[in-house]
Amino acid sequence: MIVLDPAHGGADSGARGETLVEKDAVLQMARSVRAELERHGFRVVLTRNDDSNPTYDGRAAAANAYRDAIFITLHISSTGTAGTVRAYYDQFGAPPPVAAATNSKASNSPPGGLVLWDEAQRPYLDSSHRLADLIQGELAQSFSGSPPISSGVPVRAMRSVAAPAVAVEISSVATPTPDLLMASATPLGAAIARAIALYRVTGGAR
Amino acid sequence: MPRATKIVIAVLVVAVVIGLISFRGLRRRMQRLAETPAADEKARHEVLAPPISTPTDVTVKAKIFWAAGSDRIAPVEVQLPLSADPVERSRQLLHKLTVDPPTPGQRTIPADATVLGFYILPDGTAIADFSEALSSEMPSGILSEEMAVNSIAQTLGNNVPALRRLKILIHGQEVDTLAGNVDLTGFFELNPPAAAAPTPAAKSQH
Repeated sequence: MIVLDPAHGGADSGARGETLVEKDAVLQMARSVRAELERHGFRVVLTRNDDSNPTYDGRAAAANAYRDAIFITLHISSTGTAGTVRAYYDQFGAPPPVAAATNSKASNSPPGGLVLWDEAQRPYLDSSHRLADLIQGELAQSFSGSPPISSGVPVRAMRSVAAPAVAVEISSVATPTPDLLMASATPLGAAIARAIALYRVTGGAR
Repeated sequence: MPRATKIVIAVLVVAVVIGLISFRGLRRRMQRLAETPAADEKARHEVLAPPISTPTDVTVKAKIFWAAGSDRIAPVEVQLPLSADPVERSRQLLHKLTVDPPTPGQRTIPADATVLGFYILPDGTAIADFSEALSSEMPSGILSEEMAVNSIAQTLGNNVPALRRLKILIHGQEVDTLAGNVDLTGFFELNPPAAAAPTPAAKSQH
């Protein structure tokens, strides 16, 4: 199951351009990406399909309800070269010294045991990193100027997801050609679909 | 023509002339403000947070991490009087980072953001307490927020060797995210001990 998360919503508009507002544009884009993923044979659910703003925990719970989910959170940036796309995997910040000593055994342990809700992504960091690199590789081919490899950033929406999770952010709401940006949803969906297929074929985590 | 009508017309003419003169002056002032936004920003900031000088200031070559294009940060070497005291030194660096980007396009954090407090714990944990503007005026997006956090972390990490990790607070409070995306509940690694693996906050320049 692919859990597709259009970021923001409701009172949280996200990035704002002259004509585009992230929460609306990203929902429209998510619907196109869903159609493209379904065309490739994937089952897809959206964390929101209207102008609502589920909590971060609610979005994570949508993914955590499935056994073999993949969580993709979609964003549109305020900045960046127009038409480029970036994939991010979650990166937990440095723990304070006391917590570091306490958590050293638990960190990055394989999925299956009990994990803290706030650190549910931690056991999946390697899987998420691998998936993010595959997605970024496909994006770099479809969207000229995009970086060749993904980046690790502590993205809040992924912290509590107990599944491989990747944030995909396209630049940007400030584009002078909003129609072109919205038209990129189909190649975006196709790139994500190819990467997920490759991820599944090659066995997920490194 | 009755005398009263003449008086009314005369008063109206005088009012119109005064209005025109005031309008021209107002327009000139508006033009001046539009022409010098950077200088105005700097002047406003210097009222909100005046430059810091200490008795131990020595002019050194500091590396300040500003935006280099729309999707990455890079160090710029500047001659800067810096204190021997790590707290004051950190405040001076953050002041420079905020107030004085070489060009408006190199700005990574909002012009109105100020450092309300800066503390260093005995274990090398730095706590930077920023005003609300850091969050409320930050353009939302993973890329822009990542660049902002990394510019702060890299600037401190490269110029204040005593710092080990960084915690960012907004108006004295821990917040979930900077502007809806990047997680601020954790710590960002600055100068990890040689044995520890670096985190992306320390190595990524996106």
